[in-house]
Amino acid sequence: MTDDYRGNIMSIKILIKNASIYDGIKAKPFKADLYIKDGIIEDIDNYIKADSKDIRIIDAEGKALLPGLVDMHVHLRDPGFEEKETIESGAAAALAGGVTTLVCMPNTRPVLDEPALVEYVIDRGRDTGINIYPAAAMTRGLEGSQITSMGLLAEAGAAGFSDDGKAVADARLMFEIMRYSRQWQKPLILHEEVYSFSRSGLVHEGKYSTSLGLEGISSLSDDLMISRDIVLARESGARIHITHISTRGAVEMIRQAKKEGVDISCDVTAHHLFFDDSCLESFNTNFKVKPPIRSAEDRAALIGGIKDGTIDAIISDHAPHLDTEKNTTFRLAQFGTIGLETLFGAAYTSLCRDDGLDAVQLVKLLTSSPAKLMGFDAGTLKKGKRADAVLADLEAGYKVKAEDIVSKSKNSAFIGQQLYGSIIYTISNGKIMYESG
Amino acid sequence: MARHPRRKPMIEKASILSAEDLDRVIKRISHEILEHNRGSESLVVIGLQKRGVPLGRRIAANIGAFDNSEVSFGKLDISFYRDDFASNIKADIGKTEIDFDVTDKNVILVDDVLYTGRTIRAALDAIIDLGRPKSIQLVVLIDRGHRELPIRADYVGKNLPTSKNEMVSVRLTETDGQDSVVLVEGSGDVK
Amino acid sequence: MLSKSSILSIADISAEDVMQIMETAISFRDISKREIKKVPTLRGKTVVNLFFEPSTRTRTSFEVAAKRLSADMINFTAGSSSLKKGESIMDTVRTILAMQVDLLVMRHSHSGAAGMVDSMIEIPVINAGDGKHQHPTQALLDLFTIKEKFGRFEGLKVAIAGDFLNSRVARSDMMLFEEMGMDVTLVAPTMLLPQDFSGFKIKSSIDDVIESTDILYMLRMQFERQDRKFYPSVEEYNRFLSLNGSRIEKMKDGAAVMHPGPVNRGIEITDEVMGGRKSPYKNVLIEDQVTSGVAVRMALLYHILGQ
Repeated sequence: MTDDYRGNIMSIKILIKNASIYDGIKAKPFKADLYIKDGIIEDIDNYIKADSKDIRIIDAEGKALLPGLVDMHVHLRDPGFEEKETIESGAAAALAGGVTTLVCMPNTRPVLDEPALVEYVIDRGRDTGINIYPAAAMTRGLEGSQITSMGLLAEAGAAGFSDDGKAVADARLMFEIMRYSRQWQKPLILHEEVYSFSRSGLVHEGKYSTSLGLEGISSLSDDLMISRDIVLARESGARIHITHISTRGAVEMIRQAKKEGVDISCDVTAHHLFFDDSCLESFNTNFKVKPPIRSAEDRAALIGGIKDGTIDAIISDHAPHLDTEKNTTFRLAQFGTIGLETLFGAAYTSLCRDDGLDAVQLVKLLTSSPAKLMGFDAGTLKKGKRADAVLADLEAGYKVKAEDIVSKSKNSAFIGQQLYGSIIYTISNGKIMYESG
Repeated sequence: MARHPRRKPMIEKASILSAEDLDRVIKRISHEILEHNRGSESLVVIGLQKRGVPLGRRIAANIGAFDNSEVSFGKLDISFYRDDFASNIKADIGKTEIDFDVTDKNVILVDDVLYTGRTIRAALDAIIDLGRPKSIQLVVLIDRGHRELPIRADYVGKNLPTSKNEMVSVRLTETDGQDSVVLVEGSGDVK
Repeated sequence: MLSKSSILSIADISAEDVMQIMETAISFRDISKREIKKVPTLRGKTVVNLFFEPSTRTRTSFEVAAKRLSADMINFTAGSSSLKKGESIMDTVRTILAMQVDLLVMRHSHSGAAGMVDSMIEIPVINAGDGKHQHPTQALLDLFTIKEKFGRFEGLKVAIAGDFLNSRVARSDMMLFEEMGMDVTLVAPTMLLPQDFSGFKIKSSIDDVIESTDILYMLRMQFERQDRKFYPSVEEYNRFLSLNGSRIEKMKDGAAVMHPGPVNRGIEITDEVMGGRKSPYKNVLIEDQVTSGVAVRMALLYHILGQ
């Protein structure tokens, strides 16, 4: 692949030639040139002439150009756990994965439950060159007992509300949150877990948890809570989004709720699409996640939910942890895997390469669909829009290696896996912020 | 899951003892034992696994017949006493069956071939773990030289100088269907 | 030669390996009957008992096995409260390895712990019990006991009764017994079974199996160890899952009773059946299991350190 480079590295004029463009809108990709100037997509056309000397020209023959990915569930660990990840290092990891817009969760220290903390994240995020939107907590301190000042938090810039990491066990409280949230027109991103089923559980309750002697978390933990919240949403008229679904029950209930007109959406992680609980035999703690990676039947149902449109977005649920927190017994290890850098590769490999999903649909699930759910002006390649784009080689395979990881933390469930869809350039706000190799 | 060391095919070089020779040698040794011990009263015979066992049995039977008595016979496997344990681990550990007391007895220890002497050293340790014999006397069918330890046989069927890349192959009816001793080309287990 | 040098799970041990271990154990059982119960085979080798969870039986059994083979044995018992973080397991292991030892026998209360240590070191590891996952040497000695008593495995009916959910012994036994051709049934109440039953034959009371089974294997029932204590009461347990005099008398001729020990008298097995110094019932094989334990562990040490 050749570059005809006639300018300085952070050029504000970029011409991408002959790319296969997935714009996040149309039903098919199309071959075209795309011209970026001063942070905006100036033009998309069959042939665009390079009319000045300071344009960076990228030959994208045989490559796919996508909108910058929108990851609506990421843990940046900042403020409070900066050894694991900071806003800056998280942004670097995002760029390596082609993610230019992300929603970060409020389970930091302190929890993002006050306007000043929301502003802190937004300010630091602005300096990274990508678009970082914090979700604010629904309850103070994520303790599940007092509602936060949702109005003030929305005005400070919170993109949505979530208690992620925890579920709101008090049903009445959840109902009041749902009713109140309608006023602010921001989505409620719900982590669904029933503690009486999940406590002391480590992995999916099934054949593997039994044979490996690991305490199981039954699917009932997810399903019961989702069923409760669907009833509450129906009653309150709230706009709810169920995040990181893992069970076939979840897919069925959400499918049905949508049919009945409940204002509900949902997402699934790339690792829940890629793995099933047979991966546990290695006792590799990077597979210890919440909700747990479930059975082959659950995974098949999730893929079915993707194909029929029940699932609206794919996320990473990027969850950095230190080596000391992961290199230990399964019981003691923290829950979570990082995922920003492998988001596209994992989703593309398991859904498109292995399961025949149309790449157009995949791209929408990673760009325009989550953007729409969150109300962001992002996730599409259109003339006049902000220039966030990713150039990828769909045919190029790579093996995920620990030494290549950009994130501060190295706990990736994908280490050793062969993925396809390698990211070549990530352009954010009109600047090339990541180049591979 | 026993693994056998790679063996080159064995080429027979010379016949050492025929079936008749073997028979005469065993009888001669049995008489010698009786002569040296002045009768069979305090004698017990222990045969070393694996071919020392049928040999030992024949000797015990002979001694008993010549002296009109019953001579106790036992079998000994020395796998757990070997000093080359790690390189020589075998799955086929033979039985040790010694149902008499060796204390105060003259133990006639029988093996087919005496070579480096390590097997006999291990056998001495094993027997002394079982009791306090009055004496241990060693019977071997063939002494092929190349001792690595100061061990000597009291009764020898035949002295046979050999080179290290030769092997003495003893076959007995009870274990191999025929009686013979031949010299072959090739090196195998160390005795 | 065994197919792998560490013994972490019954899944690592092939049927051929099992037969080899059984054969060798016979020779070692005989040595233990002699006046001098020692052979010099492992002289100069050092075995470490690394027990993060307390255990007298298993630890002592390995100690006796090592000593009878003339190996040196070091006992390292760590209070589980002083080792909360995972990094301390490896710090402890590294310290021990610096003393140039030849084999680790490890017990830990977390599933997968022995495997984790094994993947990080060069010397072999024998899993003496990891959480709820596996206790392979127990299963092997149970099998040896069965072989000594019945002379065979194929077709024998085994009923494993009690707290299956929390038992590593049950997992190892089930796997091994099925591998060797035995017909396994579990006897347990719903709270002590996994949610997904497929692949298991399940009964809910001892009475359902007592007359037909060849072997009744009783698991330990620890009321205080159940998560959330779902099982109602000792009285309930006694009524449906305990072995008492009247039940043992219903067993067929030649049938046997086993237990990994120590027995919670009055819970899994009544005082009547256990007796004083010895059980009055000939078919209770609990002491034979202990004797088998030394012989089988000697066989394992012999095979592993010989590689």
